[in-house]
Amino acid sequence: MTAGRRVLRGEFVQLRPLVVADAAVTLGWRQADRARFLNAGARTVEEQAGWIAARPESDHDFVIELTDGRPVGMVSLTAVDPVNRRAEPGRFLIGEETAVQGVPAAVEAMRLLYGLAFDELDLVRVCGIVAAENTRMVKWQKFLGMREEGRLRDHLFLGGRFQDAVCLGLLVADYRTTTLPRMNALIAAARSR
Amino acid sequence: MLDHAAVQDIVLRALESLNDERAADDRFVVGPQTRLFGADAALDSLDLVSVIVDVEEAVSAAAGRTVMLTDDRAMSQEVSPFTDVAALTAYVLSLPELA
Repeated sequence: MTAGRRVLRGEFVQLRPLVVADAAVTLGWRQADRARFLNAGARTVEEQAGWIAARPESDHDFVIELTDGRPVGMVSLTAVDPVNRRAEPGRFLIGEETAVQGVPAAVEAMRLLYGLAFDELDLVRVCGIVAAENTRMVKWQKFLGMREEGRLRDHLFLGGRFQDAVCLGLLVADYRTTTLPRMNALIAAARSR
Repeated sequence: MLDHAAVQDIVLRALESLNDERAADDRFVVGPQTRLFGADAALDSLDLVSVIVDVEEAVSAAAGRTVMLTDDRAMSQEVSPFTDVAALTAYVLSLPELA
C-alpha cells in the first residue's frame, strides 16, 4: 500500500484517499466561487468521476475530513519525482467553509501533506504555482515558508481573462525551521477554547 | 509609539481587509469583540494567517523593526493571542520589541 492509499491522521483532520464516490461532493466544491482560482475542471459528476478514476498511481490525492468523518476539502501531492526528490502540492481547496470556522483544518491538512512529502517520501523540495490574484493563498503559502521564485506572465486563463501565476517553492530546511513551527503555532491556537 | 488604540486599529483594519475579499453575504461583524480563532470564531486558518500577516506588517512598519506573532512566545501564552481582537491587541502590546 502506498502512502497515497492510506489515511493520514491528525488531531483535527485526516487526509483520506480520494475515491470515485467523492465525485459529487468534490464537483460541488470545484464549482463554488471559492474555487475560481483553480483550473477549470469537470462539468458533470460523471466527468468528475472519470477524472478521479484516471488519477495516476503516483498522485497522492486526498479528501480533507474532520475527525468525525465529514468531508470539508481536498488537497493533493502530484508530480512526485523521486530522482530529483521534489513534488507539487496543489488542488488545495476548503469546500465547506462553515464547518471549518475556528478549526485549523487547512493548516493541519498542509502539515499532514508536508509530512508525507518531507518525512515519508524524503523529498527536498515542493513547488507550484498560485494565481497572482489569489492574494489570500499567496499570503498563506509565504507565511508558511514558501518563497516566491518567479512569475509567469499571463500564465492562467481564469474567469474569462489571463492573469499571472506566482511560482512558489519550499525547501526541506525551511520546512523544518519556519513552516513546522508556524503550523504548530496555528494549531495550538485552535486548542485554546 | 503604538498604544492600545493604535494596535487595536491595526487588528480591526486587518479584519476589514479580509471582509472586503468576501462576498457580501459571507462577511462577519468586525469590532473589538470579534472572535478570531477557536470555538465560535469567524475565521478559518487561511483567514487567520491573512490577519496575522497584515498585523505583522503594519506593526513592524509602525515600530520600525520586524515583529513576529507566531514564534515560541505566542505558543507559550496561557491564553492564545489569536482567540479574539482583545487578546491579539494585548499580546502585541506585551511584546518587548515595542517597549
